[in-house]
Amino acid sequence: MATEKELDAFLREVEKRAFKRSMYHVRNEESALDIVQDSMMKLAQHYGHKPAQELPMLFQRILSNCTLDWFRRQKTQNALFTHLGDFESSDDGGEFDLLETLLQSDETTEAENPQGQTERAQTLRAIEAEIQVLPARQREAFLMRYWEDMDVAETASAMGCSQGSVKTHCSRAVAALSKALRAKGIFL
Amino acid sequence: MTRQLSVQPGEFTLSDQFGARVAHFLDEGAREIPRDIGERLRAARTQAVAHRRVSESVAAPAVIAHGNEATLGGGMGFWGGAASWLPFVVLVIGLMGIGTLQDQMRASEVAAVDTELLTGDLPTAAYTDPGFAQYLQRATKE
Repeated sequence: MATEKELDAFLREVEKRAFKRSMYHVRNEESALDIVQDSMMKLAQHYGHKPAQELPMLFQRILSNCTLDWFRRQKTQNALFTHLGDFESSDDGGEFDLLETLLQSDETTEAENPQGQTERAQTLRAIEAEIQVLPARQREAFLMRYWEDMDVAETASAMGCSQGSVKTHCSRAVAALSKALRAKGIFL
Repeated sequence: MTRQLSVQPGEFTLSDQFGARVAHFLDEGAREIPRDIGERLRAARTQAVAHRRVSESVAAPAVIAHGNEATLGGGMGFWGGAASWLPFVVLVIGLMGIGTLQDQMRASEVAAVDTELLTGDLPTAAYTDPGFAQYLQRATKE
């Protein structure tokens, strides 16, 4: 069973990422805060007695469900399907070359001078903007897989889909992000 | 912060590298959350931890213990259990008593009829005679 200290430490670690993830979905600060607060409360009330190692998975699932609940409450049926039901392929005719993107990135130096910091801030804003326009399932899979550092099986379990779907969503998200960032002259 | 993605060494693909680099930027973004948002998140976390659910294995006996106290006011385990069975025991004993009493009353009625038959002027065989039975019916109607 997770102790009070362990639960607090876990929530402290994930709360900011959870807030940002919710922001990418709902694009509203107050709503994102409500979703995170709701998720924290549900985790503590319903699963506070679970072992500490089970908390990350449970929290991710709760956060996803709370986000979905928010969309339902808003009765934005069209938005829901636009964001969550878009499984269409974003094929770009083979223009995407991730290796090229990464190789170019390796050649760049990350100068930590004011100009470099400004550029990094701009890169961050661009990444966040592109993440926000990803289809919701792709965004969810990408963020869980790479930002929350969950493996494919865990992501599939949290999203309630197959591992193959997770791989597909991640692959498409990576392709879309890379292409969009390259178009802005950003090479990660 | 160095990211350790959940993949085997040989499985680290270009997509994983790209994902890890994006995540690195996102981490920076998460650290730049405004102070007031951070405070509200902290308050939400504190509130959630305060409402943490305790273990089921601890909670169950506590509920039973409260039940016992409410019943007997003393928390006596054995007597509490006995008291909870008492109404049922009383009900069973009562039903058995009523059944026995009814059996005894029925036996007394049968004994009284037998006594009347055996001590009457008529022989017992007369009650099995059809003609006597008709006489009794006619006499009853008149």
